[in-house]
Amino acid sequence: MRRFFAITLGILTAIGGFVDIGDLVANALVGSRYGFALAWVVPVGVIGICLYAEMCGRVAAASGRAVFDLIRERLGPRWGLGNLTASFLVTALTLAAEIGGVALALELASSVNYLLWIPMVGFLVWLVIWRVRFERMEQVFGLGGLALIVFAVAFWQLGPDWGQLIHNATHPTLEPGEGRATYFYYAIALFGAAMTPYEVFFFSSGGVEEHWSAEDFAVMRSNVFIGFPLGGLLSLAIMGVAALVFFPAGVQVETLGQMALPTALALGKIGLAVALLGIFAATFGAALETGLSAGYTVAQYFGWQWGKFVRPLQAARFHLVILLSLIAGVMLMLTTVDPIKVTEYSIVFSAIALPLTYLPILVIANDPDYMGEKVNGRFANLFGTVYLVLILVVSAAAIPLMIATKAGQ
Amino acid sequence: MEAPVNSPGRAEFRAPAGRVYDAYLHLLDRQIIDPDGEMIAKVDDVELEISDEGVLYVTALLTGPAALGPRMGGPLGKAMVAIQARLHGTGGPGPGRIPYHLITDIGSAITVSAQPADLTIRGLEDWVRTRIIDAIPGASDAPQ
Repeated sequence: MRRFFAITLGILTAIGGFVDIGDLVANALVGSRYGFALAWVVPVGVIGICLYAEMCGRVAAASGRAVFDLIRERLGPRWGLGNLTASFLVTALTLAAEIGGVALALELASSVNYLLWIPMVGFLVWLVIWRVRFERMEQVFGLGGLALIVFAVAFWQLGPDWGQLIHNATHPTLEPGEGRATYFYYAIALFGAAMTPYEVFFFSSGGVEEHWSAEDFAVMRSNVFIGFPLGGLLSLAIMGVAALVFFPAGVQVETLGQMALPTALALGKIGLAVALLGIFAATFGAALETGLSAGYTVAQYFGWQWGKFVRPLQAARFHLVILLSLIAGVMLMLTTVDPIKVTEYSIVFSAIALPLTYLPILVIANDPDYMGEKVNGRFANLFGTVYLVLILVVSAAAIPLMIATKAGQ
Repeated sequence: MEAPVNSPGRAEFRAPAGRVYDAYLHLLDRQIIDPDGEMIAKVDDVELEISDEGVLYVTALLTGPAALGPRMGGPLGKAMVAIQARLHGTGGPGPGRIPYHLITDIGSAITVSAQPADLTIRGLEDWVRTRIIDAIPGASDAPQ
């Protein structure tokens, strides 16, 4: 019974924790602009993250070491440092975007300008990382993120024509005036949002934080293979309501308020309130994850003590990196740069940086030295390789498309 | 110390237990932990000695920017060594050194039979702990 409870809790946490500001913005934006014509990217991204998160979880459980710890062993100090720099910058940019997202959600709930909320959000994120136990932190914000199910309820309430919807999703066509390059630019953004590198840094480091061993494979796999796809459904629901409400009207989603509006249309004030709660929990949870990931990557590269399973005093440099990343994120957002724009860039830069993370993972997951009997099977290697090719194509295409489309305009 | 390790004919050596380890694959860049699992440092370089028979032996694991800098090379590597020489903490200038005989296990991490405090190789950690982190309330509490 306790085991069943642990698995259920893990899955629920994975669902609620799946969505972050990148997914919220990318899905709503794409839904309002393309209807269901890009819906196919979400399952493609979800399968990719499931595949690689499972590998990372397996590496963490089999070897007791987190991903970035091993990346340097496989790439050497020079390439490892280049990888660290890129991964850290993308993660820090995502952290800034998440802080902005939390502040925007608070602005919607309170009508107090988001800029006033930003220092407070930065402080609260730090306080939770400083004081709250890892498991509790994960559960509270993961379960809070489940409130995003309101988007699925709203979608159902809006009463879509399912036959037409499936036809549109499986036979994507472009509206007149939409270029092919822009279409693929947004496909890359959506893919980058689903496969953000910090997710695997966090997932594997979290496995070490929770002291996973070989016995935890079943729980880890159920989180990944049940929790993540259900989380992906939330992404699709967010895209779906935007496609039903804004796409026919020709309105493009540009603010977090617009993104949440369909829940109010379908379910009234209560719907909006629950949506705001969900957005708050999802972005705040992701701010914790990105903040910790910033510390994980640096500490694991240099071999410093890291983790929340020790007292802050025992992992001084790790906590210092987190503190400085948070301060930098808060300062970036206080320049009054548009948080939605920061988010859009953070997911495209994530897409560019994807091979840096995923290639070494595939190599390590095949190394019997770390993995023993738990090396990749044929299935994981076949799909892992297919996805690696896809990731390389996406990464190579991202910058030219960004320039050609003026970042999707 | 790095030249022999990085040269094409890598130095293979015999560990006490008799298993052959490849210094390049099994030692360099690997995490060093103490018997309780506390993370101490990375193996940033190894110290080698040539015996009378001309066989290379690893005599110590080297850690810190002063060991990593030369392997990194270029202006960045030089800067790492120079900064460490200028700002070194309790351990003094030059790389931190963990004698080979302290190694008890080579697995996915390298276990050494010494507490980090006794090794005096974590100058920056000590400085950050005493000057910054310890000053923040709750630093010595376990998370709730």
